[in-house]
Amino acid sequence: MSEVIVITSGKGGVGKTTSTANIGTGLAKLGKNVVMIDTDIGLRNLDVVMGLENRIVYNLVDVVEGNCRIKQALIKDKRYPNLALLPSAQTRDKTAVNPEQMVKLIDELRSEFDYILLDCPAGIEQGFKNAIAAADRAIIVTTPEVSAIRDADRIIGLLEANEIHKIDLIVNRLRMDMVKRGDMMSIEDVIDILAIDLLGAVPDDESIVIATNQGEPLAGDSSMAGTAYMNICKRILGEEVPLMNLEVNNGFFAKVAKLFK
Amino acid sequence: MANQPVIIKSNKYGLIVVLDSKLPFEELKEEVADKFRSSAKFFGDAQMAVCFQGRSLNLEEEMELADTISKSCQIQIVSIVDEDKELEEKMQRAVEQKEEEPGDLMNLQDGRFYKGTLRSGQVLESETSVIILGDVNPGARVISKGNVIVLGCLKGNVFVGAAGNEAAFVAALSMEPMQIRIGDVIARCSDRAPEKKKKKAADTPKIAYVEDGNIYIEPITKEVLNEIDL
Repeated sequence: MSEVIVITSGKGGVGKTTSTANIGTGLAKLGKNVVMIDTDIGLRNLDVVMGLENRIVYNLVDVVEGNCRIKQALIKDKRYPNLALLPSAQTRDKTAVNPEQMVKLIDELRSEFDYILLDCPAGIEQGFKNAIAAADRAIIVTTPEVSAIRDADRIIGLLEANEIHKIDLIVNRLRMDMVKRGDMMSIEDVIDILAIDLLGAVPDDESIVIATNQGEPLAGDSSMAGTAYMNICKRILGEEVPLMNLEVNNGFFAKVAKLFK
Repeated sequence: MANQPVIIKSNKYGLIVVLDSKLPFEELKEEVADKFRSSAKFFGDAQMAVCFQGRSLNLEEEMELADTISKSCQIQIVSIVDEDKELEEKMQRAVEQKEEEPGDLMNLQDGRFYKGTLRSGQVLESETSVIILGDVNPGARVISKGNVIVLGCLKGNVFVGAAGNEAAFVAALSMEPMQIRIGDVIARCSDRAPEKKKKKAADTPKIAYVEDGNIYIEPITKEVLNEIDL
């Protein structure tokens, strides 16, 4: 039985695409058959984050318009044979596809994959409607900023209105040192407002910027963000994983230890 | 044309029968019967409202004419419309306005429940008072002609007594609204909202009401509740 998960946020730039890439990679590492679909038609970038841009021949719009078969458009990941990407078109816009076509497309993929991840565009317009049309559950990505949380709240309302009731939260780019000083909202504050289940928190980590720029998702590696994403993937599979300690140790001894790494 | 004693005009829903004002009533009746008999085919058995113009008729005369019409052709007269429509509408409006004031009381006393969190962008509108089992998040709106009680955290906008009733109130377990409007009085939260202070202040259930044209927010105590009129 496959599960269709839409990854959305409302606000742009909070880490939807990065999260999709890392969750996709993490689930593939855990042995699941996964396909990631970039639904951000006109502004595709999941392929860039995955480092698969140069392999695109056909895209989502080609499939929907019948220019090619789904198999032809799916790009197999270079690292994991059980991970695939369906890229979006860069030359078209959101109106090229409608929700019914998305449902049909995803129904065709359900038999072949355990997890279908939909990378949702920012906003609440046509692109958002396309992305959520076929979703069974949703993951909301937010940062601990009031604007991102306001948008996330609106998105949750819209998802509920569209009969998607399993909604989980990822709090991205958390800085524990700032939370401790009281300059940033804590995970508890965020959950207090949004009132949905927490899937995980990802610390603000340099390594994720580097990984994104190199097109190498870091889920499962030794970095803090990599570990956090791996934990999220395990929780998606239903495992009970305790929240990791997100505190960055920047004391004297930690710096000395870094020198010897 | 001018000396015709009976003229029939029509619009989408009915007939306007213009009558000669001087002709004796019995003669007029004959004329009406003649006129409708000759156009019976044209009208068929349509359902119509009829309006008499050009002559003041009493109720009996009106009924008699209507009778004459339905006898002379197959038209079914649904109603006789008063010529002086404007006056009628005015009177109707006056009566309805009168009714609205006791209606306000109903809004305050009657209520409905809403379960769930109201999220940014969602609007809950109600003719009566509302009790919300959940939070009202920033960016959400509650509009009620009566009172609003939030069994949760009120962080959004709320508008009570929406028909202009300043006796309405808002109560919430945790009161941190962006804006409260009671009748025509508006209050908004202060611009600086220090996180730590907010936590403490929001702990006690509070009630917002209007006094001397200002909105007051106070912890719910017996004294405050005694002041509330329903």
